[in-house]
Amino acid sequence: MLSLTLKEAVHKLRDGSITAKDLCEKCIERLNKTQQLNAFITETVDISRDSAAKTDRKRQKSKPMRWRKLEGLPIAVKDNFCTTGIRTSCSTAMLQNYIPPYTATVVQRLQDEGAYLIGKTNMDEFAMGSGSVDGIYGPVRNPWNYKFTSAHLENQQTKPIEQVNMRNYHTSTEDWHIAGGSSGGSAAAVASGVCFGALGSDTGGSTRNPAAYCGVVGFKPTYGMLSRHGLIPLVNSMDVPALFSKTVDDASILFNVMAGHDVHDSTTVTDEFNHFTLSDNISIKDLHIGIPKEYHTPGLSKDVHNAWVEAADMFEKAGSKVTQVSLPHTQYSILCYIVLNCCEVASNMARYDGIEFGHRATNEDSTEELYAATRHEGFNDVVRGRILAGNYFLLRQNYEKYFAKAMKIRRLISEDFKKVFASGVDVLLTPTTLTAAPTYKWFTERDNRTASEEQDIFTQPVNMAGVPAITVPSKLSDDGLPIGLQFIGQNFKDKELLTIAKWYEQQVQFKQLDLDYLDNVS
Amino acid sequence: MQFTKLTCRLWFQRVSRHNKDFCSKVPKTPKWEEVDHTRIPNVPHIDQEMINHLERVSLVEFNNQAGIERLSKAIESANKLHMVNTDGIEPMESVLEDRMLYLREDKVTDGRCKQEVLSNAVKTIEDYFVAPPGNIPLKTKERDYGSNSKGS
Amino acid sequence: MWSKQWKSVVGLEIHAQINTESKLFSGAENKFGGPTNTQVSLFDAAFPGTLPVLNKGCVEAGVLTALALRCTVNKVSKFDRKHYFYADLPAGYQITQQRQPLAVKGYVDYCISDKNNFQTKTANITQIQLEQDSGKSLHDEKDKISLIDLNRCGTGLMEIVTEPDFSDGTDASAFVKELQKILQTIQTCDCKMEEGSLRVDANISVHKPGERLGVRTEVKNLNSIKSVSKAISFEVKRQIELLENGGVVENETRSFDTEIDETVPMRDKEVKTDYRFMPEPNLPPLHLFDNESVKTVASKISVINIDDIQQKLPPLPEDTRKRLEQQYCLKRRDVAVLVDNSGLVDYFEEVMRLSPTTNAKLVSNFIINQLLGVLNDKKFTIHNCPVTTDDFGRLIDLVQTEEISYSTSYKVLDEMFEHPNITPEDIVEQKDWRQISDTQVLTNICEKVLEEHPKIIAKYRKGKLKYLHTLVNKAVIDSNNKGNPRILKQIMEDLLDNK
Repeated sequence: MLSLTLKEAVHKLRDGSITAKDLCEKCIERLNKTQQLNAFITETVDISRDSAAKTDRKRQKSKPMRWRKLEGLPIAVKDNFCTTGIRTSCSTAMLQNYIPPYTATVVQRLQDEGAYLIGKTNMDEFAMGSGSVDGIYGPVRNPWNYKFTSAHLENQQTKPIEQVNMRNYHTSTEDWHIAGGSSGGSAAAVASGVCFGALGSDTGGSTRNPAAYCGVVGFKPTYGMLSRHGLIPLVNSMDVPALFSKTVDDASILFNVMAGHDVHDSTTVTDEFNHFTLSDNISIKDLHIGIPKEYHTPGLSKDVHNAWVEAADMFEKAGSKVTQVSLPHTQYSILCYIVLNCCEVASNMARYDGIEFGHRATNEDSTEELYAATRHEGFNDVVRGRILAGNYFLLRQNYEKYFAKAMKIRRLISEDFKKVFASGVDVLLTPTTLTAAPTYKWFTERDNRTASEEQDIFTQPVNMAGVPAITVPSKLSDDGLPIGLQFIGQNFKDKELLTIAKWYEQQVQFKQLDLDYLDNVS
Repeated sequence: MQFTKLTCRLWFQRVSRHNKDFCSKVPKTPKWEEVDHTRIPNVPHIDQEMINHLERVSLVEFNNQAGIERLSKAIESANKLHMVNTDGIEPMESVLEDRMLYLREDKVTDGRCKQEVLSNAVKTIEDYFVAPPGNIPLKTKERDYGSNSKGS
Repeated sequence: MWSKQWKSVVGLEIHAQINTESKLFSGAENKFGGPTNTQVSLFDAAFPGTLPVLNKGCVEAGVLTALALRCTVNKVSKFDRKHYFYADLPAGYQITQQRQPLAVKGYVDYCISDKNNFQTKTANITQIQLEQDSGKSLHDEKDKISLIDLNRCGTGLMEIVTEPDFSDGTDASAFVKELQKILQTIQTCDCKMEEGSLRVDANISVHKPGERLGVRTEVKNLNSIKSVSKAISFEVKRQIELLENGGVVENETRSFDTEIDETVPMRDKEVKTDYRFMPEPNLPPLHLFDNESVKTVASKISVINIDDIQQKLPPLPEDTRKRLEQQYCLKRRDVAVLVDNSGLVDYFEEVMRLSPTTNAKLVSNFIINQLLGVLNDKKFTIHNCPVTTDDFGRLIDLVQTEEISYSTSYKVLDEMFEHPNITPEDIVEQKDWRQISDTQVLTNICEKVLEEHPKIIAKYRKGKLKYLHTLVNKAVIDSNNKGNPRILKQIMEDLLDNK
């Protein structure tokens, strides 16, 4: 049942071939069996069971009630989306007891169409990172190549709502792979079959990166299509709520439920959103694919390069026009991102002082002392480092040199994309990550900033320009780990992008991770 | 003549697409420009005055030498931006700069939710939030950011 | 006097709360005095994940104000974050418009009027920007805590920044009064300084004429016209004394202690803060339109047309002053008093409407020099004045036609207040206050006076012309104060010349 796609599951729920209760229990069981992946911070099992029961009762009612688009479907939501009454921690000590009194718009829209929350997923602290290893609840483990031991599988029960602060978490000696970040928990949740779709956020690749590492689809829509109301921000001018799913069709279904103007978010476009479904018969004969040459960067692994070549050649042989193009400012994009990211972080984090919400220290000598102590106790090194750097770049004497300069380069990067699309290119094809998922050991030998610089190299120029992008799993590496490829589209042409990605997915027939064997372990 | 040339080119392209020695459009080798490191501005020394100033405006401490090095590395990365010529380029603050800003009608649609507003505050007194007396500047401690770095 | 050796220069930053139903970026209510933390949305309390949404009413009010202050409205303006930590600022930053504000370069004509001095001046407006107000903190000294109420947090403010065009406290406070009148006329701010809906910060420096401008201090949160005047006057004096004694003026922020009428360093004194301005990423630029550019916009949902708002601009105080000057040939000084006092212009114009042949100058004089005083003494306002405009006009007519003397009119007006149902003519009749204008009667009185005071005549003849008035006054007394002074004077002169 758990290897169904979202589309199939929704269908079967609708026609009654599976009950919401059965599906829910299966998901909960899988959740229990995969505890050591540490994909979830908060598990909302009771809510799930209640919702499933409600869905089943609907079917029994004599008067037909509206059967909503996602009726009875469990989804997971990254723990930086506010959910009423359910702790939303952003994996930081600062918010470990924060219970929002409101729900993020995109989450609400999914719930309004009948989906229910199975849990809040693990992430890097405040979404800062590309590994999902820097949160207070410990790292997320990639389910691929993970050795689930029976010792772990016995006596598993749902984690209580109150999580132990795991800041001093000690790594195990196992050689497991990271799930990617910062939305690693959501990626692992979908890949391991716990749910059929999950929400993440994407600021510089935080959804596409873990999606590639975990062998699932990761879709970042055009900036302005999905509301950020209720998404605790990292970089407001780049953040986008993003989706994890098993197939491109699944991503499209979720996107269509969530998209459209929100009066609570002034950065959503006011244009009417035209709902769409993706065709099953797709022709790519008139398509023009661009291969940005600068995306062959130093450090690109042979495996990933080969997958890229195979995909480009596949399109060309099938009749598309494929040309090499240039995005000349690509190599400066990550540096530009560092400056803009740090500055926005410095600004966005200024509200964490312990007075209205969040952690509050006990030093009450003065406002300054309280704020400083609260922020010291509440933030990890990564967050603090970015705040200090951001404030440095925003100082009066530095503003022009760094922040304004970075914004100018942002325009150049955005223009690079515009020019290429204006020349007739429909979609760009690039790798998503430099390599397949690295091991935890290898990854933690780098500091957070270096890791981000390397891991986000292909993904974050997209956020600079606001254009939509999607990663689709293509094949396995020599080590048996998934490799994802990225398609980048034009602004507000999300439907066209998804269509092309779907065609590719149909060709490669990537075999999803199958953890059904865990069901047979008692 | 032009027409014939065009037809030839198109035919040739079709043939080469199906040719086994077909040329992939994906570059075989990395294509990044060499960065002339001599042109990158030096990272300035982060002196005590700057440390104090940043700590005061951030209300966050560097904590140890590693923290200061983190800042230096960030500045080092940011300095590479000066390799790019941005003469005559306007800063891009928002990708939606050409769009109309949505304006809300002047109506009361919010507030009147005192319980929710106070629900997450650790300390309240009679519906007020509570803060210590301010603004008293942080005591400038003599911090030794020596090589013995403390744990975070 | 030091004022000859020193020049003082003052610039103002005025924060006016915008008179809208809801706040600048949230839909919480904007009302004075609500119960603690009941007018607060999650955005106002800076809950993570909440976003600003701009209030159309605030923008329209800003544009109307900008037009009233003769500013150029920017077709594109932007929002910025200004960062600093304070307990009444939950987000750790204020959203304002530092780089590209709503409007720039305007001016205001206003009058300075006190007993000895009347002048008209023009003050230049540097810019007008929209920004958020902060919350309020109540300091409890005993328990060493601050109690924070966020009801005011996020209320829309128009910050009106002037050039340093004012010379002293009187000048600056006169400007603030004019600004109040303008904002109240266009109803974009209720200007109740006592409620905090209009607050003034003053930047003050002194220098010797011909030398460079001095170091300036900022005096914050002046919340009455009197405070504006007194604080600036005190600060100017303080700076001059300091400099004359060899001291140095520090670039600091001060507040005004109303108990001792002195400026004092602010309790929360801080080293100069770098606000690290940054564009507000959650608000794309604000585009405004005019009749031309509005044609290019497909949807009219969020469109504001500056030209439409210009049409809605009512007559401003300066417009009214100019009109009264021209229409009724009145002096600027008198017109200023009429416009200055709420309701007087309406009363005056109603009087003129009812009796158009009455001399306008006379009417305005009477209102200013008599009516205002009586209203004050008898604790009335012009709005509940018991004397109708009709009756008032008739009173003036009696003076104009010399039925009664100017001095008698005071007594008649008094009576009219006591007995509003009786017409002025009837009062004059009943009290027998009619002026005697009969030439023969008055000649007899004059001749009698001349017979009785030959010494005064002699003095007059020696060239001391003031003794004419003495003689006329005696004639007035002899006539039981009913003799027409103008005619008496004429007769007296003739008699003296012909003797």
